[in-house]
Amino acid sequence: MFRNQYDTDVTTWSPAGRLFQVEYAMEAVKQGSAAIGLRSATHVALATVNKAASELSSHQKKVFKVDDHIGVAIAGLTADGRVLSRFLRSECINYAFVYESPLPVSRLVVHLADKAQVCTQRSWKRPYGVGLLVAGLDETGAHLYYNCTSGNYFEYQAFAIGSRSQAAKTYLERRFEAFNSYSREELIKDALCAIKETLQSEKLTSATCTVAVVGVGEPFHVIDQKTIQEVIDSMEIREEAAADQGAMQEDKSSEAAPVDI
Amino acid sequence: MEPVGLSSASSKDSTSLDVGSERTLYPYVTGTSVLGVKYKDGIALAADLGGSYGSTLRYKSVERIKAIGKHTLLGASGEISDFQEILHYLDELILYDNMWDDGNSLGPKEIHNYLNRVMYNRRNKFNPLWNSLVIGGVKNGQKYLGMVGMIGTHFEDNHVATGFGNHLARPIFRDEWREDMTFEEAVRLLEKCLRVLLYRDRSAINKFQIAKITDEGVTISQPYSLKTFWGFSAFKDPSKGAEGSW
Repeated sequence: MFRNQYDTDVTTWSPAGRLFQVEYAMEAVKQGSAAIGLRSATHVALATVNKAASELSSHQKKVFKVDDHIGVAIAGLTADGRVLSRFLRSECINYAFVYESPLPVSRLVVHLADKAQVCTQRSWKRPYGVGLLVAGLDETGAHLYYNCTSGNYFEYQAFAIGSRSQAAKTYLERRFEAFNSYSREELIKDALCAIKETLQSEKLTSATCTVAVVGVGEPFHVIDQKTIQEVIDSMEIREEAAADQGAMQEDKSSEAAPVDI
Repeated sequence: MEPVGLSSASSKDSTSLDVGSERTLYPYVTGTSVLGVKYKDGIALAADLGGSYGSTLRYKSVERIKAIGKHTLLGASGEISDFQEILHYLDELILYDNMWDDGNSLGPKEIHNYLNRVMYNRRNKFNPLWNSLVIGGVKNGQKYLGMVGMIGTHFEDNHVATGFGNHLARPIFRDEWREDMTFEEAVRLLEKCLRVLLYRDRSAINKFQIAKITDEGVTISQPYSLKTFWGFSAFKDPSKGAEGSW
């Protein structure tokens, strides 16, 4: 009822103790195309859905390498995401210059969160309209963080953001306990399965998604389309084989796609 | 450069005649060599406790090796007050590192590089910290030993020395250092070099500390002295057979 009165600028509280502008900014993240991340003890995988503005255009870049040991996937205003990626790269390279060492992931996300928080407490600014999944490796292990537009950040075993992300989250929730002992290949496969959940009716091909991985002894990089298509093909072969053996038995999670928010 | 007769308007201007130079021109109280070697379980550093004021051996309890954080030892030769300034910078660095409280910590490699940046930047401003620094440490089983000079020269090696140690100790290290030395062997090697330096370096005193760092932590020994021998017959009657020689 009061929403319209207290949502003009970010420095106005509502009587219920909410900052509506920040919440509206989080809406922008929910509207963006999906991005998911999952980690094991030694690797972290990120995957995004490639959405092109029209058939004529190319799709937007949603996965950015920040340093050899860190990469991010974004959902929301990609322009804001690009600017923040530049900030993250700059932080990493400055630290490496002074200390000859990779910046610990937990410290990077704190810098990012503090930067986002500033925009929630200045009347002449607006919050960043992008959520970031930060995947990285440091001496304390593999990490996946979600940096929210509000300035909050959380560490996750697996997470999904963007439109239809609830479907992916449900898929991941069922399986996340096993992730820590996953191999690199299993991680990538599950990442693709989770992306598939968000695509619903669209077909999963290597052209409609981007997958990136970082791990022990493996710098952050986007996996090439050919390899991804091979993984997708092997997944489909397995599904068809299982379907042949008794379609009744298999519980395909895409049957009951949960209602989106 | 302004002509001698002119003085500038601002009294803070260091080119005016009133203030004099506000950058380091020469050292005053100095420490002599620091030695460092890698051994099987970690790093051993050695230095004497002397602070010379020119050619006077003025201070005899100057500790020139300090622990930095959990993983690093720092030894310094050169201007003692600049060493204390460096310790102050590092105190702050370690404090902020600990305040993160997140399982990550700065190791010897990070400290070495940080100090290199500090030394080089000061040199570029023509206001150097007049020190040669030895950084040694162990982190996660990895041993590290390096050096940074006052002009920003830096490198890593299995054995390092500063000052006179470069000329007198390093040749001995090159001949006798081995990767798998025990701590006792490392100390014997260091003491051999310290003794040579004691005989030949006029700013060395017979009061030493050996510092050791392993994955378990830091130990800096109490000061102790080495046995020396001065009873050579040539010393008993120095000018015998030395007509007109010095």
